[in-house]
Amino acid sequence: MALIVDPEQNEIRALERVADWRGKRVIEIGCGNGRLTLRLAGLGARVHAIDPDEESIRAGREGLPRRFARHVSYHAGQAEGLAFRTTSFDLAVFAWSL
Amino acid sequence: MVHALREAHRVLKPNGILVDLRPAAVHRRVGVVCNGDYRQLGSMREKFDDDWAANRAVARILHEGLFKTDWRTQFDCRRVMDTVDEFRSWVDDFVRLGDLPSHDWLIEEVESALKASRGKTKIVARGPLVMRVLRKLDVGGQ
Repeated sequence: MALIVDPEQNEIRALERVADWRGKRVIEIGCGNGRLTLRLAGLGARVHAIDPDEESIRAGREGLPRRFARHVSYHAGQAEGLAFRTTSFDLAVFAWSL
Repeated sequence: MVHALREAHRVLKPNGILVDLRPAAVHRRVGVVCNGDYRQLGSMREKFDDDWAANRAVARILHEGLFKTDWRTQFDCRRVMDTVDEFRSWVDDFVRLGDLPSHDWLIEEVESALKASRGKTKIVARGPLVMRVLRKLDVGGQ
């Protein structure tokens, strides 16, 4: 049994066109359980992934591969009040969350 | 939504990039693929109120001069499932989160198509995604 999202990888190809993600500080707002978070980490980004749903954040943390442990951190929080410093990210991603 | 976009503007560095990636406001098509042949069974009956509200929020922050549009693209995105249970679970989430009418009719269509098919059959839900890339503009030295 499997549910495969975007087997053609059109989404990640489109994101590759946005920037060179390597080493960039990225905030992903509305990360859910981290499906796209891992793809961004795979592009070399350092991702702070935010979602108001604590269960999704827990699932994201549990599913975080060891190789991305230093590149991804999950935070439960609201998009309207981000607990991060002003002018601290290179990119902000709203993926399926606006 | 406007508040969330303003927060994103606050935490972005000067000239930083905001990516808005989400499904286009069109009904997803659902069908089955067997031996390479696709047969459409129906379309989802989504509501687009949230999409239009998001579009308005983006238009507002552009109007406020917080961002400018760098570029926009649209591409196809498929979800491929092996079983009716997977499809039902996906549709149930969709119905619950989107406050949509029952899609049992579509689940029954898929179930019938799978029973009638010979060989390996996959369930496919497809619809375009829209990606907008916005560039942060400095406001008041921030």
